[in-house]
Amino acid sequence: MSSQPQKPMVPGGGGVPSSPAAPPPPQKDTFTVIFDGKPIEVPKNLNLIDAAKLAGIDIPHFCYHPRLSVVGQCRMCLVEIEGIPKIQAACTTPLKDGLSVKTATEKVRSSRAATMEFLLINHPLDCPICDQAGECTLQDNSFGYGHQLSNYDESKRQYPTFDRTMIGPHVIADMTRCIQCTRCIRFTQEIAGTSELTFLDRGGRTLVWTHEGQALDNDWSGCAADVCPVGALTTREFRFRSRVWYLQKTKSVCPGCNVGCNVSIESKEDVVYRFLPRYNPDVNDYWLCDHGRFLSESLNARDVYRATLRQGNSVQDIIVPAGIQRLAAEIRTTVDGTGPAGLFFLGSAHLSNEENFLLRKLADHLACPNRDVSVDKSRTRKIKRKTDWVEGDDAAANFRGARDMGLAPAKNGYGLEAVLSGKASPEVVIVADADFAAAADDPASVAALRRARFLAVCARTANALTRAADVVLPASSLAEKEGTFTNVQGRVQRFERAFLPRPPVRATWELLLQLSTELGFGDRNWTPADLLAAIAKEIPAYAGIDPKDLEGGRLLKKGDFAWNGTL
Amino acid sequence: MSHTRYRIASAGKPRPFPPEAMARIQAILARYPTKQAALLPVLWVAQETYGWISKESAEEVARILDLPPSHVDGVLTFYTMYNLHPVGTHLLQVCTSISCHLAGAGELIEHCRKRLGVGLEETTKDGKFTIVEVECIAGCDRAPSMMVNDKYYEPMDEKKLDGLLDQLSGRA
Amino acid sequence: MDGYLADGGYAAWKKAVGGGLTPEQLTEEVKKSGLRGRGGAGFPTGVKWGFIPKDTKGKPVYLLCNADESEPGTFKDRLLMEEDPHQVIEGVALSAYAIKCQTAYIYIRGEFYDGARILDEALAEAYANGFLGRNILGSGVTLDITVHRGAGAYICGEETGLIESLEGKRGQPRIKPPFPAVHGVFGSPTIVNNVETLACVTHIVNRGAEWFAKIGRNEKNTGPKLYCLSGQVNRPGVYEAAMGLPLKDLIFGDDFGRGMKGGRKVKAVIPGGASANMLTAAEIEDCPLDFDGVAAKGSMLGSAAIIVMNEDVCIVNAAQNLSKFFSHESCGQCTPCREGTPWLYRVLTRIEDGEGRVEDVDLLTRICNQMANGMTICVFADAAIAPPLSSVAKFRDEYMHHIEHKRCLVGAKAAMATA
Repeated sequence: MSSQPQKPMVPGGGGVPSSPAAPPPPQKDTFTVIFDGKPIEVPKNLNLIDAAKLAGIDIPHFCYHPRLSVVGQCRMCLVEIEGIPKIQAACTTPLKDGLSVKTATEKVRSSRAATMEFLLINHPLDCPICDQAGECTLQDNSFGYGHQLSNYDESKRQYPTFDRTMIGPHVIADMTRCIQCTRCIRFTQEIAGTSELTFLDRGGRTLVWTHEGQALDNDWSGCAADVCPVGALTTREFRFRSRVWYLQKTKSVCPGCNVGCNVSIESKEDVVYRFLPRYNPDVNDYWLCDHGRFLSESLNARDVYRATLRQGNSVQDIIVPAGIQRLAAEIRTTVDGTGPAGLFFLGSAHLSNEENFLLRKLADHLACPNRDVSVDKSRTRKIKRKTDWVEGDDAAANFRGARDMGLAPAKNGYGLEAVLSGKASPEVVIVADADFAAAADDPASVAALRRARFLAVCARTANALTRAADVVLPASSLAEKEGTFTNVQGRVQRFERAFLPRPPVRATWELLLQLSTELGFGDRNWTPADLLAAIAKEIPAYAGIDPKDLEGGRLLKKGDFAWNGTL
Repeated sequence: MSHTRYRIASAGKPRPFPPEAMARIQAILARYPTKQAALLPVLWVAQETYGWISKESAEEVARILDLPPSHVDGVLTFYTMYNLHPVGTHLLQVCTSISCHLAGAGELIEHCRKRLGVGLEETTKDGKFTIVEVECIAGCDRAPSMMVNDKYYEPMDEKKLDGLLDQLSGRA
Repeated sequence: MDGYLADGGYAAWKKAVGGGLTPEQLTEEVKKSGLRGRGGAGFPTGVKWGFIPKDTKGKPVYLLCNADESEPGTFKDRLLMEEDPHQVIEGVALSAYAIKCQTAYIYIRGEFYDGARILDEALAEAYANGFLGRNILGSGVTLDITVHRGAGAYICGEETGLIESLEGKRGQPRIKPPFPAVHGVFGSPTIVNNVETLACVTHIVNRGAEWFAKIGRNEKNTGPKLYCLSGQVNRPGVYEAAMGLPLKDLIFGDDFGRGMKGGRKVKAVIPGGASANMLTAAEIEDCPLDFDGVAAKGSMLGSAAIIVMNEDVCIVNAAQNLSKFFSHESCGQCTPCREGTPWLYRVLTRIEDGEGRVEDVDLLTRICNQMANGMTICVFADAAIAPPLSSVAKFRDEYMHHIEHKRCLVGAKAAMATA
């Protein structure tokens, strides 16, 4: 093997009394790998395919996945290694210092074309009806490295009884498209740990399937469709709904629990079509659980399109400013009357840090000590990182953040429990999120909140609480606003806006800002970024959080609910 | 596609191992450092017990060896000697690899099929005979070579085959 | 057992465990003998044993006897195990001793019911005589040998396919490196040797490396060899001769095949099992049947399975039959073999059935050339391409006849009229 680094000459050789020998060069923690003549330093534990990426070289592959065991089966990543006459699979070639790799020779080109030809002789020409089109590795590699025309004139092997069939509650199998890369099998074995999938039979008849009577039914089954490089495994919920190249991708955070997996909201014409996981090695790595993934459709649900006002038994449509002004007036009446202790502000673990912060600041401005947030508990959900799991058991994304923002009863104040049990009787109740928890649809809880003289909510979907409220203000979904959540790890993560809500629907922070400026607090021109900057200034644990620098999330210093401010 | 091994038939009822079989399984387990390594021998015990390996047998084996049922399926369907559905009392395995092919295995198997009135991998209505093609069984110098269950019959020809089938039908 | 003992059996084993021969000495003897693997690859056995790391880091060493004999045309291991199991067992024991292995398995193909039963009985005898188990003959040496039956997969004759199968998985060959000697079965150093190779070890220990090395054509091809002769010869069978027996002698010799049945002429010979390139009648001249001799003719000795085809055999038909074998036995892991072997079979079938096209002949060659030489995880693909590649190269006119006339040139189907 060429290009081994030379050992340094010891100064003052044989016989002559010499000065102490030069210390050996420090051990590198990288290897020098040479790609097509250009050397680059790479970490020692990297796979050659990933090392090539660092060098800006794309080695096409199907079966390799950075989080799954290396199998070297697809034979697409073939490259020439100096010193080895036969072509080698890059993914199974161990890195060593001085490894010299050629990725652009004629042999490499023809080997890739050969593998593509072999894969396409039996692969059905399903592209026109296949969901994977546009994000299909087979299409991409065929276009990049394959032949243009087929020389195959025999009958193709098919698996007719394993096509268009549910293999699990969320995943549809079209096994005739399968290229036997075993990513899905390895996913169920190594990540999910449930081992539902296996090869059956052998040779050209090899089929991926489950044990009969068993389904691909684990908490992350949608990820099996993610790792499938072709359209053999796809999700039922997304089937035939859209061509992927029309979908706009927006960086967001899953609202399903407090793990806060990073997602991509994929939308078109103001409709959310699906969630895909977004890579974040600190939180969810490459994965997303089914519970969160399939919440995507719920973002499209809406019952509240405009503001309403209850008058006796009838409910009238009003314009949003009218609703806000009416609420402000009711608040002033109580403040001037029995005093600010007659108000109650309820935030939400579904709302962003900015929204919860603004709500609490408004309560502070009015000198009201009664503010709270609650969250339902769910079964423990977890997601796998490289070497461990992140777990959460909140049924919402941002309880930690809401508490951090100060939504807890202040001195001499009361919280939600007191209101629901009847110990406390606020006159005016302001609920920033009508879907804050299961209690919002519980008759007894709603009745307790309804004891107030005036009940105002921001809402998107209808429930017992919205039906009981005096004023309902139309609030946007997660996809229609930007903000931050703080997850179970104490990581502040930003979510972006995919599309604007349809007027008169507004983001909750906009509604709260209109209310607070109406009541003499805040600047009409504030944005969520301004709110986040204010959070960083006021709340010690959030100091240093820069709205412009939140890529990948920012871990707060350790410690629980940092805000202990008093009124 | 012809002769695929995707479906493991159901026995319709549970398939526990009888005590002698379990004793053999315990002895087998003692010879391997992992339970998984005992899988092929234990599947043989299942096949010897019931004549074939059903979905229920596969699940029982999975349970005994602490393996996912899908893993057992993967192994079961990879190896051609495990019967995935009931077979006739006499499993006729005719070699059709090159030396036997040169010696007329093709004609032999056709003759056998016609006489029994079944296709390859099929069982006669009386349940006595199943005929399958197999690859080289190392009887090349006595071609055409065939096996019936665990016995070799070689060299075989059409006349001898007729005699054998007569004999086996009479006995079975 | 009695017969074996009477013939001097287990003397070598007693000598070894008795301290008369250290593992290092035994390995040296095997190296000096020039013994090369009789399973097909012909790798020097002593050298292979030397690949076991000096420090196995506490991991046990395993010896696996490859009795999966499934290469078409091969039947010598079946003979050895059925007729002389103790010779094999002693060979296993001696080899295990040489590599300091305490647990050995004989992986025998499932179809060898008799062989497995006979080996089990012989092992029981060996245990009963104190030749196996713990503290053998008071020497402190421990060795357990277990017969492990396969269940119908040619690919389990590939050493890493065998290892995977022994671990209770599908017999899908592994990526190398790591090599089995370093990381094999159960993550431990492992040596896989063929039945005949291990049987040779018994004789090397008994009669010495020099005796072994003197037999055979030259110092690179030593020892006695079991040749499997089949096809259209008068006397097919297993023949033992010195390495380097001329191919023509094997086919025509009075002590051997005694010529072609019915006086027909040789048309083609496969010298080393289905995985070996075909030789034409002209090429069988001056062909010593040893590793280097057959390699010089552009083929391989492999498992020494010599299949002789006469002038009435349609080569396309033979190639089609061989390609069916390979497409059935491919494990299916990697793309070129999984997709290529059935493709070859389909094209050959089309040609044989009279639906071939002129382009098909070169298509066959192209498919073969893009399946081998590193394209796959193991060399099954390199084996699978031998019949079509060599037959197209050497019998092209027979293929063209099929395509032009839509029927065989020779054989039963040649006379058939076609639609």
